[in-house]
Amino acid sequence: MSTARDQQLASTFVALADTLVADFDVLDFLGLLTERAVDLLAVDAAGVILSDQRGGWRPAAGSSEHAHLVEVFAAQTRQGPCLDCVRGGVVVASWDLAEEAARWPAFGPVAVAAGFRAVCAVPMRLRDDVIGALTLLSAAPGPIDDASVALGQALADVATIGILQQRAIRHDAIVYEQLQAALHHRTVVEQAKGVVAEVTGLGMHESYTALREYSHAHRRRLSEVAAEIATGALSPAVLRDAASATSGTNRDAK
Amino acid sequence: MVEDRVRRLRALVSAGRVDRDASVVGLVCELCVAELSISGAGATVLSHLPDDVGTALGRGLVYATDPVSAGLEDLQLTVNEGPCLDAFASGGPVLVADLAAEAARWPGFTPAACELGVAAVFSFPLQVGVVRLGSLDLHRDSVGPLSRVEMANALVLAGLATQEVVADLDGHDVADLSWLADPHVEIHQAAGMVQAQLGASTEVALLRLRAHAFTSGLPLAEVARQVVARALRFTDDGDRR
Repeated sequence: MSTARDQQLASTFVALADTLVADFDVLDFLGLLTERAVDLLAVDAAGVILSDQRGGWRPAAGSSEHAHLVEVFAAQTRQGPCLDCVRGGVVVASWDLAEEAARWPAFGPVAVAAGFRAVCAVPMRLRDDVIGALTLLSAAPGPIDDASVALGQALADVATIGILQQRAIRHDAIVYEQLQAALHHRTVVEQAKGVVAEVTGLGMHESYTALREYSHAHRRRLSEVAAEIATGALSPAVLRDAASATSGTNRDAK
Repeated sequence: MVEDRVRRLRALVSAGRVDRDASVVGLVCELCVAELSISGAGATVLSHLPDDVGTALGRGLVYATDPVSAGLEDLQLTVNEGPCLDAFASGGPVLVADLAAEAARWPGFTPAACELGVAAVFSFPLQVGVVRLGSLDLHRDSVGPLSRVEMANALVLAGLATQEVVADLDGHDVADLSWLADPHVEIHQAAGMVQAQLGASTEVALLRLRAHAFTSGLPLAEVARQVVARALRFTDDGDRR
């Protein structure tokens, strides 16, 4: 591993640790984690999918909220490497999604159409359970190297800890409570993104970025700001400044 | 497997509905008692102002399968604390397998609930993002958690109750049950866009989206896609392309 990467890695864990303060926001944390995963693991996109605890899976965070990536993550909840990963509790990878018509007839074409050729899904494990997965996507076909997969697993473990927050995991109840709350906040963020997109004319990804940047600039929780926007307690106009300062910092296929 | 669970529970709700003129939320409470290791179930559905002047929420209808459940619903509103209110604050369920051990958490609620004979309580918020509709509260007269299968069933039943409360609000029984848990996030994004178009609440926007889907015969997800693609706008006069 290169020195530059070591430094990047150290700064990532410092940044993640910084968010793990008493009143941190799970979605914001997962957003940061997926963005850092993209930089650190030399992939083009990353996302986290969580168990809905009814037997289904839901997208919770992505390195970008561009529509094509959102589609891929939605498709993943029905079929694909992520689903195989959470079912088996093991790393599932494909080095060329164009060759996976037999394995994933529905997922393969969606991912390829969105501009992705290689994928690796890493389980988020808690004791004997799998509560979700971190998926890494590359635009170019070819293997994601072992060191990156190992690092991906480390990030997935950090994500698990983050979701369950700092509370001691006394029993399953807390896992249920935290996961369901995270999925609820995801819905609130989607509603807020819609309000911001309509009022500002921004796209969904830019609306999401504006929400996050405003939250960070004001040291607020993303889910609180999103709830205030969606309920009208906070005017979306305040996000315009945050939005204008936004530049495309995420590498993203297509 | 997921579809089977949802289908089975939905079939039970439909079957119960045909039998009598019962409220569906009440029916869900009864199903909770039948399906889960609990003593009783109650639900409070917040009253809403459909014309929306700031989503004024008040105490609405209360359903209960037994006097203890009714007492619990009353109690939370009286002391203004308890698992149901915490569930709204956190956005997720509040699961208390041993209520007596949580006396410090709710100093007003816990002793009174224990006096009612409640040993464990499990509250599930009925909500669609920021749209708060009510809560489903389960209790048992003995301590212990819900099993995994019970939790999955409880979450599905809470989802069905949420859906039925929305259906009650707009009068459209949309057969498509996937819209709540749908990974197609466009529905929630579209609700946000439509509320900004109308200058209304998320709740009103959601009802308008559903009404458009109902009258146009399109799936809700498709209507939402059109809104997000900015091909469909809602105005106070009607829906415009």
